[in-house]
Amino acid sequence: MDLLPLTLLLLLLLFAALGSGVLIALALAGIGLVAILVKSAAGPVGVFGTSVWSASVSWDLTALPMFIWMGEILYRTKLSEDLFEGLAPWLSRLPGRLLHVNVVGCGIFAAVSGSSAATCATIGRIALPELAKRGYDERMAIGTLAGSGTLGLLIPPSIIMIVYGAATEQSIARLFIAGVIPGILLALLFMGFVAAWALLNPSRMPPPEPISSFANRIASTRRLIPVILLIAGVIGSIYGGLASATEAAVVGVFLSLALSWGMGTLTRSSFRDALLGATRTSCMIAFILAGAAFLTSAMGFTGIPRALAEWITSLGLAQWQLLIALTVFYMLLGCFLDGISMVVLTTSIIMPLVEKAGFDLIWFGIYVVLVVEMAQITPPVGFNLFVLQGMTGRNIFRIGYYALPFFLLLGLAVILLVVFPGIALWLPSTMFEG
Amino acid sequence: MRTLLDRLYGTALFLAAACLALIAILVGAQVLGRVYDMILKLFGHPAYGFIVEGLPEIAGYLLAGASLLALAGTFKSGAHIRVLMLLQAVPAGGRKAFEVLAHVIGLGLSGFATWSLLALTLESIRYKEVSYGLVPVPLALPQAVMTLGLAILTIAFLDELLHVLRTGRPSYSVSEDAVTLGKEG
Amino acid sequence: QTTWTMPTPYPDGNFHTKNTAQFAADVDKATDGALKIQLHSNGSLVKHPEIKAAVRRGTAQIGEVLISLHANESPIFGLDSIPFLATGYDAAKKLYAAQKPYLEKKLADENLVLLYSVPWPPQGIYSKKELKTIDELKGLKFRTYNPATQAIAKEAGAIPVQVEQADLATAFSTGRVEATITSPATGVDSKMWDFVSVYDDTQAWLPRNVVIVNKAAFDALTDAQKKAVMDAAKAAEERGWAASAQVTVNATKTLADNKISVVQPTPELKAGFEEIGKRIAAAWVVSAGPDGEAILTAYRK
Ligand code: NA
Ligand code: NA
Repeated sequence: MDLLPLTLLLLLLLFAALGSGVLIALALAGIGLVAILVKSAAGPVGVFGTSVWSASVSWDLTALPMFIWMGEILYRTKLSEDLFEGLAPWLSRLPGRLLHVNVVGCGIFAAVSGSSAATCATIGRIALPELAKRGYDERMAIGTLAGSGTLGLLIPPSIIMIVYGAATEQSIARLFIAGVIPGILLALLFMGFVAAWALLNPSRMPPPEPISSFANRIASTRRLIPVILLIAGVIGSIYGGLASATEAAVVGVFLSLALSWGMGTLTRSSFRDALLGATRTSCMIAFILAGAAFLTSAMGFTGIPRALAEWITSLGLAQWQLLIALTVFYMLLGCFLDGISMVVLTTSIIMPLVEKAGFDLIWFGIYVVLVVEMAQITPPVGFNLFVLQGMTGRNIFRIGYYALPFFLLLGLAVILLVVFPGIALWLPSTMFEG
Repeated sequence: MRTLLDRLYGTALFLAAACLALIAILVGAQVLGRVYDMILKLFGHPAYGFIVEGLPEIAGYLLAGASLLALAGTFKSGAHIRVLMLLQAVPAGGRKAFEVLAHVIGLGLSGFATWSLLALTLESIRYKEVSYGLVPVPLALPQAVMTLGLAILTIAFLDELLHVLRTGRPSYSVSEDAVTLGKEG
Repeated sequence: QTTWTMPTPYPDGNFHTKNTAQFAADVDKATDGALKIQLHSNGSLVKHPEIKAAVRRGTAQIGEVLISLHANESPIFGLDSIPFLATGYDAAKKLYAAQKPYLEKKLADENLVLLYSVPWPPQGIYSKKELKTIDELKGLKFRTYNPATQAIAKEAGAIPVQVEQADLATAFSTGRVEATITSPATGVDSKMWDFVSVYDDTQAWLPRNVVIVNKAAFDALTDAQKKAVMDAAKAAEERGWAASAQVTVNATKTLADNKISVVQPTPELKAGFEEIGKRIAAAWVVSAGPDGEAILTAYRK
């Protein structure tokens, strides 16, 4: 079968499989199975075994369940309530008020976690129930979280930068540094949008909290101390050389347990519930990752991503045309593959083209991270959507719709990056060349 | 039979949780070792250099064990996500047909997955494959655990298929419908 | 027309991958396009630890691996990474010749055919300050990533710290690790100058990649095609050894150009390492049995 009809058939099948109510993980695996049976001579049993085994046995991935566990422990403490009580008086004059906690929380957590799903899951577990309780608009609460979770990839450390750096032989340290300013910029864009939305939709904001006196503010601010200690402890363990970025997740678990014990909420049953909850949630994500890994392998064997990339190469585009074509290409691919797979499967073909067109490869890395972030929140395959469906019961298409403004803001960030390349390149040039 | 099956899913989930806890304990021990070295250094003593040998690989195997052993328990609790949009739109009779189809596909695919991992395990035994890291772990060990997790998931799918045929809905649909923002527990 | 799928572990810019790509092109040309080899570099199709097994079961027909990655499976696979046994290209070549029949036999047990093998540049030590004697390794946080580096750390009394390649920059800059041993090529690939200042050219060992093919897939070729593959493999091996030596020169210069001070090991350090190497080689012979003894006898002749 030709590649184009096959691609369309697979897309159709994917929607059919998802629509029929098959588990998402198995729907992905099923499409992989069809692809490999139709198009490749490789035995599906061998490909499945190898890809699921490689995807499941991963040291870097251990951070994900640990962060989820940390979120589950904190969810059972008074910490999230304290966090919101402590911040509420300070944010009362800022349009959007506590919705900004999602953005800032994800931004700070991104400095610890290299993954978008872990950022989304941990902050979501803490913030979503509080926001719902306080009557914030569900659509915005979920949308901001889906969007801001992707900051985990842009603000160092970042799994995707490690993958890109290894594939293109770029310095991972430089890529990390290059992500800092775009990360802050993106967070500001998100916050600006939240503020503008709140000004335009005052009726959909909950009634304002009473303005408290300065003394009261200071008093409630003291409730932030445990959160600050927790964040400082986890970040400090990395920069103090005590833990790797992966190990820091476990530091987070132990600090959360200590906090829970200090607050008197650590009981046998709360410990068991948190651990079992984390086991289920991380199992759900790991299962989808395994299904996606098999689909990715199958796609690799069918040669579809390669053929599409080769087709773009054959067009002989000018620099700006190439950039538009690649953005469309990655956005399309991003609907069906997860971000890391996208980069892994296409760099080999895309990079020579990118180099020939004269792009700076560090700059291009930041561009890739941004388009991969977009892929995290486009259905049907977007890991932030999976995490949020697991947490809220809203389906991935609806969550994808909630996240649409943030998808567009990511697009705006890409345009800003193209017009002002210094956003990515200035910091690495001052830090390493000086 | 019902009790026996539920106990099977529950035990596997409990073992999965134990794998996660073990990762935390091992990594925690490694970090504490570094804290101890830092304190020694602060007082001018040479570092003790405690290491958990082969930690990244072993943690990776434990993670795989956790992820796959938990499959059935997670499935039965309705925490594996699926898209219900279409199913909720069709009338009750049609929904039963869809649910049966979804569970037949699920059963087939989890059966295929179990078979593939079993083949992988048998091959690892045959060629005596061991891990490449500092502690040579026979690969058949974590692979067998993964196969077991998938086999239990396959049993759970069969279990649910029978339930769907009887009642028109999977047993976990109660919790699927109950997951709503702010009320999860 | 036959198409072989070929997973390789390293990125396109790496000299091994370039050499293998040339090999694939040579085969294509020599068989008039009847045998196509489709490269999937950088572990994009199959991850490095799984490549050998994937070729064995025929999921991929041909592949490239760092053979010492499988040292735990058989001592024969780990021979090239015994430190200070064969330093420099001539010695490494001799060691390869002594090992080759045993390596082929070992691979044949897994239905694999050895096509060719190309070494990495010699391994040297990257650190923040120069090490003058072997005693300075005591208590030093030394990166280990395989049994060979683990053995060195243990013998030298260093603190072995397991650090993944991707985590190296953070590990050095936060002080979780203080020294690592790897080739100048890898040092350039990972821009080591961002976090260390000294490269000590110890020439500890030359680990080798091997290109292996599934026996059933190879047997399915016509005699003319088999010959084309073997001829291309022979050419690739010669080209690869030369390229490796050239990369050593170029990469070492690149390190120096980026303000890493490239030093030769002091006689004290060298003597200390040789002592360690002897102990590790002795342990290897014990684990490898009569085959191991035969290989080392042949090598030392
Ligand atoms: Na991050
Ligand atoms: Na997507």
